[in-house]
Amino acid sequence: MAKKLNEKQKLNITLILIGILTVITVLITIPKGPNIKIGNTVKDIKLHLGLDLKGGTHLVYQADTSNIQESDKLTAVEGVKDVIERRINAFGVSEPLVQTSKVDNNYRVIVELPGVTDTQKAIQMIGETPLLEFKEPNTNTEQILTDQQKKEMEEYNADAQKRANNILEKIKNGDKFEDLVKQYSEDEYTKENNGEMGKVYEDNIYFKDLVDEALQTKDNGTPWKVIENIEGYNIIKRISAGEDKKIEAYHILICYKGATSCDSTLSEAEAKSKIEALKNQLDIDTNTDKKDLFIKLAKENSTEPNANTTGGYLGWFAEGDMIKEFNDAAFSLKDGEISDIVKTEYGYHLIYKSGEKQVKYADIERILIKKKTEADYINTNQWVNTKLSGAQLKSASVMFDNLTGAPQVNIEFNDEGKKLFADITTRNVGKQVAIFLDGQLISQPVVNEPITEGKAVITGKFTLEEAKQLAMRLNSGALPVSITLINQQTIGPTLGQDSLNKSFIAAIIGFALVAVYMLIFYRFSGFIADITLGIYVLINISLYKIIPITLTLSGIAGFILSIGMAVDANILIFERTKEELKSGQSLKNAIQIGFKRAWSSIRDGNLTTLIICFILYQFGTSSIKGFGLTLAIGVLTSMFSAITITRTFMLELADTKLEKHQKLWIK
Amino acid sequence: MNLQIIKKRKIWYIISSTLILISIISLILFGLKPSIDFTGGTLMELKLSDKVYQTVDISTGNTFANFLNANIANNSTGTITVQKTQDNYFILRFKEISQEDRTKLIEALKEKVDPDIVETKFESIGPTLGKELQKNTTTAIIISVIAIIIYIAFAFKQVSYPIKSWKYGTIGIIALIHDILITIGVFSLLGKFLNVEVDSLFITALLTILGYSINDTIVIYDRIRENLRRTNGNFEDIVNNSLNETMARSINTTITTLLSLIAVFLFGGDSIKMFALALIVGITLGAYSSIFVASPLLVDLYNFENRKKISQKK
Repeated sequence: MAKKLNEKQKLNITLILIGILTVITVLITIPKGPNIKIGNTVKDIKLHLGLDLKGGTHLVYQADTSNIQESDKLTAVEGVKDVIERRINAFGVSEPLVQTSKVDNNYRVIVELPGVTDTQKAIQMIGETPLLEFKEPNTNTEQILTDQQKKEMEEYNADAQKRANNILEKIKNGDKFEDLVKQYSEDEYTKENNGEMGKVYEDNIYFKDLVDEALQTKDNGTPWKVIENIEGYNIIKRISAGEDKKIEAYHILICYKGATSCDSTLSEAEAKSKIEALKNQLDIDTNTDKKDLFIKLAKENSTEPNANTTGGYLGWFAEGDMIKEFNDAAFSLKDGEISDIVKTEYGYHLIYKSGEKQVKYADIERILIKKKTEADYINTNQWVNTKLSGAQLKSASVMFDNLTGAPQVNIEFNDEGKKLFADITTRNVGKQVAIFLDGQLISQPVVNEPITEGKAVITGKFTLEEAKQLAMRLNSGALPVSITLINQQTIGPTLGQDSLNKSFIAAIIGFALVAVYMLIFYRFSGFIADITLGIYVLINISLYKIIPITLTLSGIAGFILSIGMAVDANILIFERTKEELKSGQSLKNAIQIGFKRAWSSIRDGNLTTLIICFILYQFGTSSIKGFGLTLAIGVLTSMFSAITITRTFMLELADTKLEKHQKLWIK
Repeated sequence: MNLQIIKKRKIWYIISSTLILISIISLILFGLKPSIDFTGGTLMELKLSDKVYQTVDISTGNTFANFLNANIANNSTGTITVQKTQDNYFILRFKEISQEDRTKLIEALKEKVDPDIVETKFESIGPTLGKELQKNTTTAIIISVIAIIIYIAFAFKQVSYPIKSWKYGTIGIIALIHDILITIGVFSLLGKFLNVEVDSLFITALLTILGYSINDTIVIYDRIRENLRRTNGNFEDIVNNSLNETMARSINTTITTLLSLIAVFLFGGDSIKMFALALIVGITLGAYSSIFVASPLLVDLYNFENRKKISQKK
C-alpha cells in the first residue's frame, strides 16, 4: 500500500512540475515576456529573427592573406574583424554580427546588418579606410605647366571652342537661343534663367568684351561670332541697348540695434543724434575740402564693415542699383553735394556724390562654354603631400574647444609620426598647413611654432556627431589586409515581414493539421498528445528565446517539421498500447508497457535525425545551420515531452473514472 | 486485416525500378538545374508598381526577359533570365556583378521600366563561393552516409539470426539510395519543365531525408527482430506480420510529418516552397521504401541464401 502511494505521489509531483514548466514557458513565450535579471545584468528575452525575416544585409568578405605568414593569418583576420566591428558601431546598426570563418585556406569575415538595406552605404562604411593626409604649402610658386598639362589644356580649349562654334551654327539654323542656353551653357548663374545677364555696362571690366561686341551690332539679336573672354567662349544675344546715368558716391552709415546686419549697440535715437552731429560737423566746416572731410568722418564713424579702409566709397552705380530711399537721395544730388540724413533699413546714411557720367549698356543673354586656364592646373598644386598620414596615428579623441566650445578631434601620432610632424611644423612656422580627410580639405591651421610632442588638433566645422564619427574612424585605422566582397545578400524589409507572416501562418496550420489528425485517429489519447504538443511548442519557443537562437526561414521550417515528427513518439507508444490492450492488459498496464516497449524505437529513430542535424550544423551557411539547429532542438524536446509529459497525463487520467471508457482512449 | 505485402513484392519492385530508371534517364538527359549557390551569380527580386511603362511587356517572365536583354542587359550582367513569381514580382538571374553595377542597373530599371520599382531581394555570389559549396555538399553527403552506415551497423549488431546484421544495414542503405535517387530524379524533371533550381536547401532536404527515412526502416526492422525472438515460423510470414503490425505507425507518422510539411509548402512562402517539396517527396518515398522495398528485399536475400545453403548440402 505504501509503495503504491509512493508511486502515485511521484506521479503527482511530476504533474506539478509539468504545470510549473508550462506556466514558465507561457510567460516566456508571450510577447514582451519578463526579462531575466541576475544582479545587474539583464537578459533580454525576445525572439531573434534572422535577416531573411526582418530584412537587412549580409556580406561576406574574403581577406587577402597571401602576403602574411601562416602563423599570423588568424591574427590579421581577427584584426580585420575588429576594425569592421568598430566601423559598424560608428554606423549605428542594432545587433550587428561580425564573425570570421576559415574555409580551406580562405579567411573570411561575415557581416550581418539587420535592418540595413542601403547596401551601398554599408559597403562604403565597412570598406572605407579613412584617408587622412597632412599637406604643406607648395613652395615652388613659379609653377610652370608640364608639357602634358599644357597639351591637355590646349586640347580642352580647342574642343570648347569647337563646341561653341557648333552652337552658333545651330542658332543660324534657327534653333531657339533660350533652348540652347538650357542645354549647353556652362554658366551656373544664368543657365536656368535663359542666360539673362541683365544690363551690362561698358565700364564692366569683366564683361567688357561681351558688351563691346553687343554694342557694335546695329540691331538686337546675336552677333554672329563666338566671343572669347577670360571665362571661355560666349555666344550672346542682345535684348536691348542704351545709355544710363551712373554716379560715383561715398556714404557714412550709422546703424542701430535692430537694423539689418547691424552689430551696433546704439539705440535708434542715439544713432540718429550721432548722424545729426556728423551732418552738423560737415555743414559747419567750410575750410577743408568737403570730400576729404567726408572720407575722414566715414573712416572714423561709419558702422559699415571695412569703412575704415574704404572711407565709405561706393564706386559707380546706376539708377536702381541701390535700395530706393538711398537711390532717390543719391540721384537728386549735384556733384560735390552732401545729402540730408537718409533712413534705410540699414540705418542712417549721409551720402556724398563725387561724380557722374553717361555709360552705354547692353541687356544681353549668353551661352558660355568654359575654357581652362593655367590656374586650373596650378591651383590643384597649392598643397603638396607630406609623408605624414593617418597611418602614423596613435589615437584620436573628441575634445571641445576651450573658447568656442566647438567639437574638435585631437590626434596623437606614434613615434614616426611625431618626428614627421615636428619636421613639417618646423619648416612651416608662420604658414598654413592643411589637413585633408578623404581628399577633402577640412582644416588649414596656421603653425605658430614647431610642434614636437606629436599632438595635433583637427578643427573643422564639425557637429559633435561628425567629430565623434571621425575620431572613431581614425581610431579604427587602416585594415591590416585588403578585403574583397565575395557575397552579398539584401532582403528588403517588406519581404522579410512577408516571410515572417507566412511562416507564422504555416506553423499554425501545420500544428492544427497535426492536432486534428491525432484527435481523429487516437481520440482521447490523441487529445492528450495534442496538449503535450502544445507544451512542446511552448518549450521550443522558450528555448529559442533563452539560448538565444536566431530564427531564419529555414529554421522555422525545421521547427514546423519537428512538430510533425514530435508526435511520432506518441504514435509509436499509442500503437504499442493498443496491442497490449488487445492482449487483455488493463489500461494502466497497457500504457506502461506501451511506453517501455516503444522507447528503443523512439531512441533509435531520433538518433539518426540528430546525427544528420549535427552534420548540417557543421555545414556552414546560415540557412542550413538554422534548419539543423531547430530540428535538433525539436527532436530533443520531443523525446522529453512525448515521453514524460504524455505518460504523466495518461497515467494520472487512467486512475480516474475515465478508465472505464476504454473505447474513448484508443480506437 | 492482414495485407500480403511480401507476396506481391514483384509489383513494388516494378514500381520502384521504373521510378529509378526514369530518374536516371532524366538525370542523364537533363541533369539538375543548379542555383547561384553553386554556380555563382546574381539573383535580384523586383517588385513592380502599377506605374510600369506601357512599352514594357511584363505579362510573362519571358517577355520581360526579352525587354531587359534588349534594353538593360550589358557586359556586366550578361544575359538576364526572368521568372515571374507572383503578380508584379519577378526574379532576375544574371552574372555576378559589383556594387556599382548594381546601382547602375537599378537606375536603368527605374528609368526604363518603372520609376517606383522596388528591389526586394538581392544576392550576389562569387564563383569561388559556389565551388566551395559544391565541395562542402559532397563532403556533407559522404559524411552523412558513412555516419548512417556506422549507426546501422551499431543498431543491428545484436540481430544476427537468420540474417547477419551488416546485411540489414546494406539493405537499409539500398532503400536510402532508392529514396534519394528518385527525389533527385523528380527535381531533375522539375528543373527541366518548371525551371526549379537546386540550391543548398535542396541538399539540406536530401540529408534530412537520409536521416528520416532510415528511421522508418529501423522501426520496422526492430519489430522484425523482436518477432523473430518471440515467435516461430516462416521468415516470410514473420516479416509480413511485422509490416502489418507497424503499418499504422508508419502511415500515421508519415502523414503527420507530411501534414506539417504541406503547411510549409502551401503557406510558408516562396523561398522555402521547393525545400518543403523536396522533403515531402523524399519522406513519402522513405515511408514507401521501408515497407515495400527494404522488407521484401530482406526476404529475397534470406531466400537466396537458404537456396544456396540447400544446394550446397545436396
